[in-house]
Amino acid sequence: MEHSRVIEITRQNKDVFTLRFDSSIKAKPGQFLMLWVPGGKEVPMSLSDTSNPAAITFRTFGETTRAISLLKAGDRFYYRGPYGNSYPVPSGKVAYIAGGTGLASLNAMIMKYAGDVFVGARTKEDLFLLGDGYNVATDDGSAGFKGTVVDLFIPNAWKYDYVYVCGPEQMVKALIDKLGKDIKARIYISLERLMKCGIGICDSCSINGIRVCRDGTIFNIDQVRNMSEFGVFKRNESGKIEFFVNGKR
Amino acid sequence: MASISTRIGTFSIENPVLLASGILDETSGSILRSLREGAGAAVTKSIGVTERKGYSTPVISEIKTGLLNAVGLSNPGIENFVEEYKNFPEKRKVVVSIFGGNVEEFSILARRVEQAGFDKVELNLSCPHVKGVGSEVGQDPELVEEIIAEIKGHTSLQVWAKLSPNVTDLVALAKAAQKADAYVLINTLRAIGVEIYSRKFSLSNVVGGYSGPGIKPVALRAVYDVYKETQKDIVGVGGITTWEDAVEFFLLGARAIEVGTAFIYEDYPIYSKINKGLSDYLDSEGFSRLDDIVGVMVKDGAFKGH
Repeated sequence: MEHSRVIEITRQNKDVFTLRFDSSIKAKPGQFLMLWVPGGKEVPMSLSDTSNPAAITFRTFGETTRAISLLKAGDRFYYRGPYGNSYPVPSGKVAYIAGGTGLASLNAMIMKYAGDVFVGARTKEDLFLLGDGYNVATDDGSAGFKGTVVDLFIPNAWKYDYVYVCGPEQMVKALIDKLGKDIKARIYISLERLMKCGIGICDSCSINGIRVCRDGTIFNIDQVRNMSEFGVFKRNESGKIEFFVNGKR
Repeated sequence: MASISTRIGTFSIENPVLLASGILDETSGSILRSLREGAGAAVTKSIGVTERKGYSTPVISEIKTGLLNAVGLSNPGIENFVEEYKNFPEKRKVVVSIFGGNVEEFSILARRVEQAGFDKVELNLSCPHVKGVGSEVGQDPELVEEIIAEIKGHTSLQVWAKLSPNVTDLVALAKAAQKADAYVLINTLRAIGVEIYSRKFSLSNVVGGYSGPGIKPVALRAVYDVYKETQKDIVGVGGITTWEDAVEFFLLGARAIEVGTAFIYEDYPIYSKINKGLSDYLDSEGFSRLDDIVGVMVKDGAFKGH
């Protein structure tokens, strides 16, 4: 396990934080760290900036992420990685589609390759890392388009050569279903599942025998289409199958 | 080309490289992937009577000579397991690992596994880091004997007993388990990892199991000792990463081997790599089949090792 020191923690909104840290890690956009602070759990974290110094951006949702958000400049934290594959290099016209905290992972890519960014959130208060000219969708219409980021993006889909996607499984599922198969763009999707080991051996994050942590986290759209379990069920910490509310059995 | 097919108990296997319990075997999709990518058979993650979430992360810690883990027997429970495998296409190539705290639990699990259409179980008598089960059961020879007698008496399952190396007298334990159809040797070694900058333990459970290249010599010793005394069918496991490692186990009496931690270094190509290397070795050394090298360093009065 490596260790590093916090340079600064920036609050992005009510529960999203960016932690910039001192290290010489060589990571590519799309990769993640397994991050640990003593007393907490070890959690996977997407790098939101892979330049030097690098950064992670995360939402607090439990004790561990809250403990990380309370670190101060100079405090130590511990990590393994970077793990996972990275987003392929684009050519032509590029779009990014983010939901949930998906913009954290895509941000590292946006910093390197300009493109049109489509961001979805529940409300205005849930937005973070917004740049100039981002296309915003909120469920309640408190900012930008009222509706889902998928519905905001679909009419524009034909414009792009490369599309990068990161967000909740049901968002990605809706996108795949609505895009249809005759789309010309190359579409790459970073998937999210419960992870324990991060190195491809514990099987917690596997979808149809494909490991999100080691075979991904980034897959092309055809690979995701071929995952019959995707968008239908996930697994809890025991490995038990839990169907998504909207998942079609 | 030399034959690398083998047999464990009544189970004839196309090749001797199996997936060990605890690695890439929580989901039926990954078990199937291992079989498609060349595993002779695959052992599932250990299944108990009820669902268990396991320990909090960190549950693994990589070290120079292998891996420490304390996943904590996370599993969905036997009923959810059976449901997931309802339409599984290759049940004959799956060995269901089960764990329990007493004879009754093992009995319930074994019967349910058989009803569900499987014909082999591996008894986890050796998990080193969960209280009341695994090695705590598996270091009591009388209890081991009773569990195996119960399953053999009430089911037609092939029973593989996975024994703990964390005992004073492994041979005595093996003898207590002699009604099993095969031994699986060894499980992980009880171990601790230390993180010196936080001055904390590497695993949330403090104590875990040590696997990987560093434990191979211990596993070889276990296979040697037990084969010498019992000549029973043995599945060797512990630190096998290359075909050369596998050959070492066969020479000392193993008829098949399991791989797990090696996935960190070799990933899924490990099956084809070991099988190819093994076949080439047999050819170049003038053997026509795997069986010809099983236990040759232990048979023929070579018991003293020279």
